Amino acid sequence: MKNKLPLYLLASFLVLLVLAVVSLQVGVYHFEEPSLLKIFGSLLSGDASVPATDTYIIGKIRLPRIVMAILVGSILAVSGTCLQGIFKNPLATPDLIGVTSGATLMAAVTIVLGESVRWVIPEALHFSMVSIGAFIGALGAISLVYTLASGNGKTNVVVMLLAGVATSSLGFALVGFMTYLAKDEQLRDLTFWSLGSLGAATWTKNAILAVVIVGTYSYLIFKGKALNAMMLGEKDAGHLGIRVERIKRLTVLLTALMVGAAVAFSGSIGFVGLIIPYILRLLFSSNYTVILPLSAVWGAILLLGADTFSRTIVAPAELPIGILTALLGAPVFIAILVRYKRTM
Amino acid sequence: MVKGHKISYSHKNYSILKGVDVSVEYGDMLVIVGPNGAGKSTLLNVLANEIAQNTEEIYFKLKRFREWDVLDLSKNKAKFSQHYNGDIPLPVQEVVLMGRYPYYNSIPGSADLSAAEEAMKEVGIWELKEREYNSLSGGEKQRVHLARVMAQLRNEVVHKLVLLDEPLNNLDVKHQYQVLELMAAFAKRGNTVVTVLHDLNLAARFATRVLMMKNGSVLAQGPPGEVLTPEILSEAYGFPCSIWMHPVHHHPVILFGT
Repeated sequence: MKNKLPLYLLASFLVLLVLAVVSLQVGVYHFEEPSLLKIFGSLLSGDASVPATDTYIIGKIRLPRIVMAILVGSILAVSGTCLQGIFKNPLATPDLIGVTSGATLMAAVTIVLGESVRWVIPEALHFSMVSIGAFIGALGAISLVYTLASGNGKTNVVVMLLAGVATSSLGFALVGFMTYLAKDEQLRDLTFWSLGSLGAATWTKNAILAVVIVGTYSYLIFKGKALNAMMLGEKDAGHLGIRVERIKRLTVLLTALMVGAAVAFSGSIGFVGLIIPYILRLLFSSNYTVILPLSAVWGAILLLGADTFSRTIVAPAELPIGILTALLGAPVFIAILVRYKRTM
Repeated sequence: MVKGHKISYSHKNYSILKGVDVSVEYGDMLVIVGPNGAGKSTLLNVLANEIAQNTEEIYFKLKRFREWDVLDLSKNKAKFSQHYNGDIPLPVQEVVLMGRYPYYNSIPGSADLSAAEEAMKEVGIWELKEREYNSLSGGEKQRVHLARVMAQLRNEVVHKLVLLDEPLNNLDVKHQYQVLELMAAFAKRGNTVVTVLHDLNLAARFATRVLMMKNGSVLAQGPPGEVLTPEILSEAYGFPCSIWMHPVHHHPVILFGT
C-alpha cells in the first residue's frame, strides 16, 4: 500500500514541462535566435541582441497561449473529475450535463445584450462581464441538473444526461437567436465562443484563470477522500466524518466557477473532462485521492498537446481545437458506454 | 452510552416508530429482533444519527448528536448498513482504508495501514486485499464493509459504539459465528454493539440484551432468557415454536414449527 502519488505527480509535471518546451519551439514563425534561453533572457533584461520579433512571439503570443492551454486544460479535467465524483457517474462531465452550454449561453447573452445594460454595471466589472455571465450560466445549469437528477443520495443517469441535452438545446437555440441579433464584430466573438479557441490568450486572462485555480483547487484537490467515501453512499460517507451536503454544495459552486472562467476565456472546448478521468481510471482504478490531483496535470498535458497539434498540423492556418478534442472524446464516450453499460 | 426516550418517526404519514424507549450501556450487545416491517432498521438509523427524528432527542455519551463534532463522532461510533452501493471500482484494501479517513489528511500513516490490515485479518479477507471490490461475492463484500467499520473504530477512545444492520446477510455459518464473536469481544472491551439480526438463535447465543419489536413498538426488552419466551415469540411472529435450553452454553434454543 505504498503511496506513489508524489512520484506520479512529479513524472506528470516533467511530461508537461517537456511538452511546454517543445510547444514553445514549434509554430508558423521560426525564431532567428536558436537558443530559447537567450530569448527568455532578453524578455527579462531587454537584451537588444535578440531580434524583437522573437521576444514578441514568445512573450506575447506563444507563452501566454501555452500557459492558457495548461490552465484551461487543467480546469476542464478537474471539473470533470469532481462532477463525476458527486454525481457518482463517469459520464458526468461539464459538457455532457450541459454546464458548458449554460456558460456559453450566458456568455453569448452578455456579449450581445451586454452593451445595452453596460451603464448600470459598475465600471470595474465591465472587463469581466462575460466571465460573470458564463459563471452564472454554469451555476444555473449545474444546479438545474443536480436538482433534477439527484435524490436520496443516488443519481438518475438518464435524467442527468437528458437534462444536459435540454440545456444544450436551449443553449443552441439562444446562441442562434443571439447570432441573429448580433452585429458584425459581435458575430466574430460568438463564433469563437461556440467553437472554442486558445488564440485570444493574454496575460490578464491567464492571471484571472490562475486566481480561479488557486481558489478552487485549494479546496477541491483535497476532497479525494470525500469523493471516494461517497461511493459507499452519502449516509455512510457521513458516518466517516464527511460533511456530505457541504462538500456537494461547495463542489457544485466551485465547479461552476471553474467552467465559467474556462468558457469565458477559451469558449466551449469539449470532452477534456471526459477523456482524462477515463484514462486515469483505467490506470489507477477510481481512487479519487489519486485521479483528482493527477487529472489537474494531465488535463493540462492533453489540452496543450491538442493545441500545439492544432496550430501546426495545417499551418499557417489553425484547426479549431474543439474539433480535435471531440475527435478524441467521442471514442472515449463510446468506450465508457461499452464498459459501464451493465451498471448504468 | 446511547439513550433514546419516546423515539417516534413517520414517513409520508405512515408511522414507523411509535414511542420507542432504548437505553444501552457500556459492554452491552443489544440485538434488535422482530418480524419484517417492525421498524428495526429505522430504529437503528435513528440511533446512528442518519434520520433526524422530530420528537425526542437521542443522547450519545450524554450529548446530543448535534453537539458533537462530526469528526470526533466518527471516531466514537460507526455503522454498518444493510445495502451498499454494489459498484465501487476500487481494490478491497482501498475500501477498508476508507474506515481510516477520519484519522488522516491525504496520505495514510502507518497506524492507519496497520489498522486496516488487522481489520482485514480479523474478518478473513486479507487474501482478497488486492482484488477489485466489484468482483467479490455478496458475502465477501459484506465482510469488506465489516472490516472497514472495525478499522474505523480501532483507536484510543475508551467507549465506542458500533451499529450493524443485518450484518450476517449472505454469510455462511462459519463467518456468521466469526462476525458475532468479533462483535461480542468488542462489546466485552467496554464498547457497545447494537445490531439487527433475523436469526433468533444467534441472538440468544450472543446478545447480552434483546429488544423485540413489532409494528414500530417495543414488545419486550431484556436479557435473552426473558425476551425469547414462547408467549412473546408467538405474539411477535404468530408462528409456533418451542424453547429449549442449550446443554453447554445455557441460553435459550428456539425450535420453530409444531
